[in-house]
Amino acid sequence: MAGGGWRTKRGRKAVAAVVFAVLGRGLVAAARLDERVRAEAGAWPEGTVITLGIGPFGPQVSWRAGGGMLEYLGGAEVEPTLAVTFKSVDGALPLLLGMKSVLGAFAEHRATVTGDLALAMSFVRCLHIVEGYLFPDLMTRRILPRPAERRAGHLIAYGALVHRRARLEGASS
Amino acid sequence: MIPDYYEFCNSTKIVSGTRALEHIGYELAALGASRPLVLTNTQLLELKVATLVLDALADTEAEVVGVYQEIPVDSSASVVDDVARAYRESGADAIVAVGGGSVLDTAKGATIVLSHGGTLMEHRGAESLLGRRAVAFIAIPTTAGTGSEVTSAAVIKDTERHVKMGFTSLSLLPDVAILDPRLTVGLPARLTASTAMDALTHAVEAVSCVQANPLSDCYAKAAIGLIRDHLPAVLDDPQAPAGRLALANAALMAGAAFSNAMVGIVHAMGHAAGGVAGIPHGDAMAVLLPHGMAYNTDAVGDRYGELLLDLAGADVYASTPADERAAASIATVRAMLDMLHTTAGLSVTLGQLGVLPEQIPDIARAALDDGAMSMNPKQPSFEELVGILKGAL
Repeated sequence: MAGGGWRTKRGRKAVAAVVFAVLGRGLVAAARLDERVRAEAGAWPEGTVITLGIGPFGPQVSWRAGGGMLEYLGGAEVEPTLAVTFKSVDGALPLLLGMKSVLGAFAEHRATVTGDLALAMSFVRCLHIVEGYLFPDLMTRRILPRPAERRAGHLIAYGALVHRRARLEGASS
Repeated sequence: MIPDYYEFCNSTKIVSGTRALEHIGYELAALGASRPLVLTNTQLLELKVATLVLDALADTEAEVVGVYQEIPVDSSASVVDDVARAYRESGADAIVAVGGGSVLDTAKGATIVLSHGGTLMEHRGAESLLGRRAVAFIAIPTTAGTGSEVTSAAVIKDTERHVKMGFTSLSLLPDVAILDPRLTVGLPARLTASTAMDALTHAVEAVSCVQANPLSDCYAKAAIGLIRDHLPAVLDDPQAPAGRLALANAALMAGAAFSNAMVGIVHAMGHAAGGVAGIPHGDAMAVLLPHGMAYNTDAVGDRYGELLLDLAGADVYASTPADERAAASIATVRAMLDMLHTTAGLSVTLGQLGVLPEQIPDIARAALDDGAMSMNPKQPSFEELVGILKGAL
């Protein structure tokens, strides 16, 4: 981490970048392990690119859906179909660290949405499911709209994080 | 309680009262505009309602460069793009929108296209439009319901997907809103009741949604009190200007409230029912409000209980035990709907509005995807939504 740790804006952005990397692979893994994410992402139009980021000049993470696959694009520069952009790193971190809910962040005007709001709602539902795998119950009870329901254990989910691509079996048919 | 964080903006100038329309020339000049394009619909011209505005404009230094009157009941993205084209071709420097929610939201959509280029569909999103609006914009509501004249939101139909799309941006707030009782005295009883229930829903949802804040609460509760005091009287005496002006102000206040606190499950279901089954928005709100309140009750704590004061008055509030006030608030809304069914012919079920049982799953699915749902205090599952909608059928 940059000098000064996460007390500095640079440090907080570095923390956010790490969380984005975990979340990025987590969504791909969830799409493979959990039929609810598979169904949501499978309904996204072919070639849909979704970016979650912090503006301006902050880190970001993107995914592409297509061919029955959900692809992790990391922090690459892309032309997103849907962009969810936090207005500041300070608005993003409570959410990224599991201290605040996704919808709570929207309620506090912490983020903007560029693109189809129906697609954004589907993406948020996916994030809720991924958070259920990434965070313990102690945290998910506070940040999820209903108790986390996992279709695979934490360890399997964490193991799946190493896969960069996951098949959305049957989702595109 | 003060929220940990909130935002509130209501920058629209309000011009409200007897013959307020006659100040339109001054308001245009104050905005530096002199060539307005008037947006309205054919029915309002035939009823001589829009004519009141045109007459007021005729007595000013402004030159009306065109009247666009082909705005349908449900504004659509294609109509918005066509309005933007008409604006550019006319050489206008302002939009004067005269109508209900459809006309005002069409105008808002057109200002997006005129300010940012492209087509409306390229600018979907929430809080993503930056920069100043390139068009002077005066909103003149002819119903007392949507509050669109002071909201940062627009609902526009995607006619290809049969869904209503929400747009939110502070750049959608009109520069001026003009409330003149002459514009609403001719509203039929059913439409008066339906639009008032729309305003009531805005206010109730503004209080219960997750963006509620002390300022939005003030507007919402004042709006509820005005509706309680004046709606029955206006239905008894539709021509009374004071009552009409009170309801117009109630709709405006409810609009300012929900523009900052947002709306939730009732609107999400209503938008979805409008998109799937084509039912009028106000009618959907009237039917769905008590059902949405019942679903939310355990998540909103005492907030519905507080509303009993505004919904039913001080005597009822004081004589109702604290732990029974939330249920009494919902009962008051149901009683109001029953009264409007009797006096104005308002529907009390979705079935009466023409919704078919086989449409319920599609409505539930669309409601889950509606942006308003994200601001509801409680997130329903698909199955829960189907249950609520069947209960309203």
